[in-house]
Amino acid sequence: MSEHLSNELLIDYLRKELAPEDDALVLAHLEACAGCRREHEIEASLGEALRLAALRDELEFPSMIKARVWEAIRSAKPSPVERLMAYLRPALALPVAAALAIGLFFATPAMRAVMNPQKIDATYYLEVHAAQQSQSPFTERGPAAAQLIEMSQLDTGTPTDLADAAHQGLAAPGALDAVR
Amino acid sequence: MQQYGKATYNFAYRLTGNEPDARDLTQDAFVRVYKAWRSFQPGTSFLSWIYRIVTNLYRDELRRRKGRYQEEIPEDNAPQAYGGQRPLAVTPIDDYVERQLSEPLSRALALLSPDQRQVIVLADIEEYSYQEIAEIMGCSIGTVRSRLHRARALLRRMIERGKQQKQTS
Repeated sequence: MSEHLSNELLIDYLRKELAPEDDALVLAHLEACAGCRREHEIEASLGEALRLAALRDELEFPSMIKARVWEAIRSAKPSPVERLMAYLRPALALPVAAALAIGLFFATPAMRAVMNPQKIDATYYLEVHAAQQSQSPFTERGPAAAQLIEMSQLDTGTPTDLADAAHQGLAAPGALDAVR
Repeated sequence: MQQYGKATYNFAYRLTGNEPDARDLTQDAFVRVYKAWRSFQPGTSFLSWIYRIVTNLYRDELRRRKGRYQEEIPEDNAPQAYGGQRPLAVTPIDDYVERQLSEPLSRALALLSPDQRQVIVLADIEEYSYQEIAEIMGCSIGTVRSRLHRARALLRRMIERGKQQKQTS
């Protein structure tokens, strides 16, 4: 870097805004060039003078501003949108609440049914039914019902069909085959 | 307000150059801060956010007062060419400082365009980085850099001119 450094470069250097390699080049040049070193000092002292002047002219925060700010905030008129929302709030609240209540009323049982479908314990159903059948002195379908229970414990595919079959008194072996 | 009031007020004063305008600007800025505090992003500098609000309000105010702040110093953008030995533009500023140059400096600052004054205040007095200044002023880093370079060159020229006038008178 044989030419003199531009003031722009010196300002960026002073502010540490140069890339490390450029920074190193500027530093090396400043060590070798008295003219640029002098210019660097002038730029640095201008910044220093500005800071000192600002410090010297520094003002205290007027307490009246604080009071005026709070007053302005308190007396601030709401924006048209805020006013509209404030006006509509009571009118909107009731329909929104009603819609929410209706939605909850209808949605909750349906959701519950979907999430947790009702299951029929066919084995229990058949056991009770078979017991009733076997205890009855007027029926001869006891053994067939017992067979149905055994079958339902083996075949888990259609327990409700089996239960229905037992309930309807399908005791005949043909009917059992049909179910299988 | 207790914590940031003084810094904000002084920043507003350096932008406007007078106390009544600085008071109005600070008041408007804090009202805006109160109303818009939800838009502040946690983790960023609260003071920078306030300065950004002040800068925007100041710009709006200047637009409203069009005409009054219109006169801008013509910017000499010509590149400085040096042949051989670089001539010294001015003598070091140290002697200005010794002679209490705060008043001429303030006068010179007031003669800069609002954008140049803002960038000088943020860069040289508040010592923000180019990136931070760009965020506060809502412009690119390149714009910040060029505005600062021009503003400093103008300041130096005005100080030198002021010094020469003082010597001749």
